[in-house]
Amino acid sequence: MKDPVGGNQRRARFQSLCQSLRPDLLRFAFWLARDRALAEDVVQETMLRAWKAQDSLLDESAAKPWFLTIIRREYARSFERKRFVTVDVEELIAKEEPMLAAADDQELVELRAAMFKLPGEYREPLVMQVLMGLSTAEIAAELGLSNAAVLTRLFRARKQLRVMCGEDTSLDPEE
Amino acid sequence: MMDCGHYRRAMLAEPSNDDAELRRHLATCPECTRYAEQLRRFEGRLDRALRVEMNPPLLEHRVVTPLRAARPRGARPWDPPHRRWLAAAASVLLGTAIAVSLWLAAPGRSLAADVVQHMAEEPNAWARTEIPVPEPRLDQVLIDSHVRFRLSAGLVSYANSCLFRGHRVPHLVVQTDSGPVTVMVLTHEALRSAMRFNEQGYRGVIIPVRGHGSLAVLERGPDTDIKTVEAVAARVQSALDWTS
Repeated sequence: MKDPVGGNQRRARFQSLCQSLRPDLLRFAFWLARDRALAEDVVQETMLRAWKAQDSLLDESAAKPWFLTIIRREYARSFERKRFVTVDVEELIAKEEPMLAAADDQELVELRAAMFKLPGEYREPLVMQVLMGLSTAEIAAELGLSNAAVLTRLFRARKQLRVMCGEDTSLDPEE
Repeated sequence: MMDCGHYRRAMLAEPSNDDAELRRHLATCPECTRYAEQLRRFEGRLDRALRVEMNPPLLEHRVVTPLRAARPRGARPWDPPHRRWLAAAASVLLGTAIAVSLWLAAPGRSLAADVVQHMAEEPNAWARTEIPVPEPRLDQVLIDSHVRFRLSAGLVSYANSCLFRGHRVPHLVVQTDSGPVTVMVLTHEALRSAMRFNEQGYRGVIIPVRGHGSLAVLERGPDTDIKTVEAVAARVQSALDWTS
């Protein structure tokens, strides 16, 4: 026999988990898609799928990678549905200018624009590390890469960002 | 023995890397110390740059989008029509239940509600840790509010300058015996008397600070005791030195 009280508590906990993670999941989807509207759609779809599949989340401490996996799948599906072909980064930046310019700090605006220009293979692990707080091993598992490959991508990501932002790179190491 | 190239490559890939060998190299190399400081500043900016303001979508968007998405995209050949109808109806009910419960759970637009809403946007701040925020970083966050925090009052594990009701406000997390406690220094929010709140799993107080707005102090979790929060609030308040 099912336990309705336990079930309700579990659902309430799951709902609370969704609410607490949603802002960062939206940000992650935004940096993945570089499109606010698409990011919102992806996260809404993700929440619904997660709600239906909540029994498969056995350990709440693994919730973040679990949600990221669903978001990445949903984002990939949106590509299949809409058949995006080419991406003009300058157009994307212009379209999302209100989001990028929301900060009152010009350096942040430049950094955000540089993030838009960073290739996805570097941008994605960097966002996972900095914004989502994932470890190298967790990123490697999510992206299906070795730890060494993830570290290389993170290294190149920061190196390129620092150049694009006009940072003093005189002490930066060679690859 | 580690060389500078190895150290810098490791740090550029993973600035939070706390490997003992890296620390040993840092302790003996002034150039890498300068590099680590450059990277620390860059990393702080990167963290803030990634935290774009994402306002939660409107209720309608919460409802309509999931419902659209919940409709079966193609009829399954083995599904009889009444099962498809039931599945669609169940999806509608599920979507509505989620949206309505989220809506009902949302507090009104009181100051306490806005503080709680802000907490949900920064879940990473609540980690239980013994790693303090570097003192210069803490001073930088507090400087615009003309206040300093005496470190003897507790370990500050998180410090950020957050956009709150149109102003930049210091958001700190202080580690206490009962767990992490969040403090928001609300110099723009004057209050006549202290208020307690208990919303969405957060329990806290907002206390008036004469001439300096107010101070929100809150803990999360079902076992939180408001008396403990009030005691922490008093301790935090006495640890603030106003510079203007």
